[in-house]
Amino acid sequence: QDITLRATANSNENDEDYDGLVVFKNYVESASNGAIAVEIYMGTQLCSNGAECLQGIADGSIDIYQTTSGGAAGIFPYVQVLDLPYLMKDDRTAEAALPGTFTKTIRDMALEDSGDKIRLMTIGNTGGWRNFANTQKRVQTPADLDGMKIRTVVADLPQELVTTLGASPTPIPWPELFTSLQTGVVEGTKNGITDIMSMKFPDAGLKYLTLDGHAYMAAYWWMSNDSFMALPEDLRRVVVDGFYALQQATFASPKRKSIQAYEDFVANGGDLYVPTPEEKDAFAEAAAPIYDWFKENVDGGEAAFSALQDAVAKAEEDINAMRDQEIN
Amino acid sequence: MGLILLRVANVLQRLNTRVLWIGTSLAAVAITLMVVAILVQVFFRYVLNSALPWPEEAARFLMLWMTGLAAPAAYRRGAFVSIDLLEFALPRRVGAVLSLLLLLIALAVLGMALQFGWKHVQSGWLFNSSSLKLPLGLIGMKAVKIKLAWMYMSLFVGFAMLAVVNIELILRSVLKVMGRDEGLDPLPVMTIAEAE
Amino acid sequence: MLIWFLPLFLLLLLIGLPVFFALLAAPGLLLWLNGQERDVALLYRNVYNGIDSFPLMAIPFFMLAGELMNRGGITLRLVEFSQAMMGHLRGGLAHVNILSSMLFAGLSGSAVADTSALGSMLIPAMEKQGYTRRFAAAITAASSVIGPIIPPSGIMIIYAYVMGESVAALFLAGIVPGVMVGLSLMLMVRFMANRYDFPVASAKTTWNERGQASLKAFFPLMTPVIIMGGILLGIFTPTEAAAIAVAYAIIIGLFIMRTLKLSDLPDVLSRSAATSAVVLLLVGAAMAFKTVVSLSHAPQILADIILGLSENPLILLFLINLLLFIVGMFLDAGPAIIILGPVLGPVFTDLGIDPIHFAIIMSVNLTVGLATPPMGLVLFVASSVSGERVETISRAILPFLAMEILVIFLVTYIPALSMTIPQLTGFAN
Ligand code: NA
Ligand code: NA
Repeated sequence: QDITLRATANSNENDEDYDGLVVFKNYVESASNGAIAVEIYMGTQLCSNGAECLQGIADGSIDIYQTTSGGAAGIFPYVQVLDLPYLMKDDRTAEAALPGTFTKTIRDMALEDSGDKIRLMTIGNTGGWRNFANTQKRVQTPADLDGMKIRTVVADLPQELVTTLGASPTPIPWPELFTSLQTGVVEGTKNGITDIMSMKFPDAGLKYLTLDGHAYMAAYWWMSNDSFMALPEDLRRVVVDGFYALQQATFASPKRKSIQAYEDFVANGGDLYVPTPEEKDAFAEAAAPIYDWFKENVDGGEAAFSALQDAVAKAEEDINAMRDQEIN
Repeated sequence: MGLILLRVANVLQRLNTRVLWIGTSLAAVAITLMVVAILVQVFFRYVLNSALPWPEEAARFLMLWMTGLAAPAAYRRGAFVSIDLLEFALPRRVGAVLSLLLLLIALAVLGMALQFGWKHVQSGWLFNSSSLKLPLGLIGMKAVKIKLAWMYMSLFVGFAMLAVVNIELILRSVLKVMGRDEGLDPLPVMTIAEAE
Repeated sequence: MLIWFLPLFLLLLLIGLPVFFALLAAPGLLLWLNGQERDVALLYRNVYNGIDSFPLMAIPFFMLAGELMNRGGITLRLVEFSQAMMGHLRGGLAHVNILSSMLFAGLSGSAVADTSALGSMLIPAMEKQGYTRRFAAAITAASSVIGPIIPPSGIMIIYAYVMGESVAALFLAGIVPGVMVGLSLMLMVRFMANRYDFPVASAKTTWNERGQASLKAFFPLMTPVIIMGGILLGIFTPTEAAAIAVAYAIIIGLFIMRTLKLSDLPDVLSRSAATSAVVLLLVGAAMAFKTVVSLSHAPQILADIILGLSENPLILLFLINLLLFIVGMFLDAGPAIIILGPVLGPVFTDLGIDPIHFAIIMSVNLTVGLATPPMGLVLFVASSVSGERVETISRAILPFLAMEILVIFLVTYIPALSMTIPQLTGFAN
């Protein structure tokens, strides 16, 4: 083969990202008849966080890389639009809304901001949805979060969100979260269930989980624009299709993985609470001021927000129409 | 020829002594501020029960600059670890030629570092720091996030200073091979080093 | 063939190129010859990224704390305390020397600092009591290696960072092996004391005097309690603990014991900055080197070679002991652990050795190497402190080295010695 694409993600081989990459590699290598080889480097072998790895994408030393929205926020702050709470109802809506115009809008913005170096290929999922979980009590209404110390990453948006809901944001590095929960440095966290279980947080006292689904755990897949554009057009088509396959794999994988995780959580004595539609509305209402904050304070926030809103509206319409056809 | 080299070496010697003194002093300030930043972080988290977003990144920023500013002085004092058995085992002249060769390899590495370091700094203008802002809010403007290029510059500056030191060491080494190094001040020596 | 960067690296190292430059020159040259210019950019960036780390910040902080304590006359209090406890035994000052090193280890992560601080005080004192100078220098050097084994420890911070392990777990795992090295040396002193009729240092101290000495040493002795207690209870990270140790050292030095002067600070600060800068650059270069190790698939290739020698982990561990011991003779522990960790660690973890246990095997092995002839770093420091020749100290140290090698084997083959404390405290599985 003539071309080697070097792909990396900072997670490990148990992660959805790896499932996606394996599918990508398999598709691209066979569909290109071996013209393209894909090398997968999981973890921090090449680079260890969003800023570092996107640097590698920008200068072409890495071809493909996955970040969460937090990981890319340092260069493309508007990608955090997917961290905004309660904008998308469920997986079906998200999976219809993300591809197409929304992805294209973000891709164009990112290409422009990176001087045509960093190209968004697709948006998948990594770990389902974020929920509030804590060591103290069952959370049914926003008032239950009052004053609770919630762990966030070091980024404005999640901190602002936690503040908006009346809780107290506490930035703690991921590897230290276990001991911080154990010793009461923080009382709660906002994570997907698979991360909660793989980090054994219940052993640190994390007992109460409210399935509010306040944010989609999006995975942004980036590629070096130079590497991509250097491919002949037919191979570009293969790569694009490969990312489609990758996206579908990462949509599916967390759903399958979370089943066991939820069962384990409950078996460990965890309290799993599903808020009623009214309670969910109360959360959405309490969080609403964050939308304006986002549009005002985040560069490109306005454009990204309306792109997402339009895409969600269109997706809901399509889904409803399709559902009507299917049930009658 | 030897005389010209000796003059250049003398100039570099004076330049390095001063620049490195400034670098080391700034590095001492940086390590002090690092301690302060982390203590502030602990204080806010435990005593005031509200964590601050910036101390961790600020302390890393300072540590990078501490490294870039202090390492060249340490290099000049011979504090970079190496296995120096061979140089001592060889006859004096041959040993001097070997150490000249080693310095040239080091110079090549530093040249490479400067070339890629410059690109690295340039690329840093694209990226914002995640928590460090210029507090322009104080003068009525919007706070602006600091570009990572300001952090990236730390090592680039360090490598530039290392390269100048390395050139001085090469000149000294050439003069030593020629047997004309008696006109130079001896290099300062670092007493105790090492993490061990 | 990218993999040739390993032999090239070894060659550059052996002809005397500073480790920092060798770590970059060898992979850089081969990447360039291979036409992989984009990976040279990766190499550079990872030097930077390697240094840009919060856990690593514990290194400058612990170094600074150690320097401050040293300057502040704390060493003297520790020695007086040790003297009150063990001075009345036969071979008293030799025991005092070892106990002081164990206590000093709780404040400092450096064997070099131990040798120079305790050596300058104890070697003359021992000579005055009739010990030979070479014996005094040898016991000083031999016991100083406890410094980086008992926490805090510079090389363990480095290893944890480079290998992605928990600093707290490594610190906890080092406690028992460190104490064992101390006790084994005391055992040897006891044996030699009877045989060669060593002097006692002081008449039996009364409990009252012991109380006095403990009181005077109270504040310094609290340092390890604060550091390890805070880490254990999860109150602060090792980096924060190190910053607190700095503040504590300044407070007791300036205000409580009043042995430190404000005018000492600029010198202490710039020395710590310079020393840490060298170590940090080295760690950065090692992280870059490690990237090329991954790109070249070196671990798989080496694993094949190593497993070709034997598949029995016990035999392989013995070979590792041997290799580390030889490397330790020529290279300081920090650089050695930086170079060998990424290459050997994955192979042995795959063989079922716990990563934390393996980290301790490497650390103990390589720190003992600091006192091993011909190139052991602390031998040179002991020589410059005492004025005795390195060759003479090298001979006098052999019985103590034998004890330390015994401890290395015990630590290697009995994982529980390192693993029990981190497991009981929940810092290891
Ligand atoms: Na120590
Ligand atoms: Na000692």
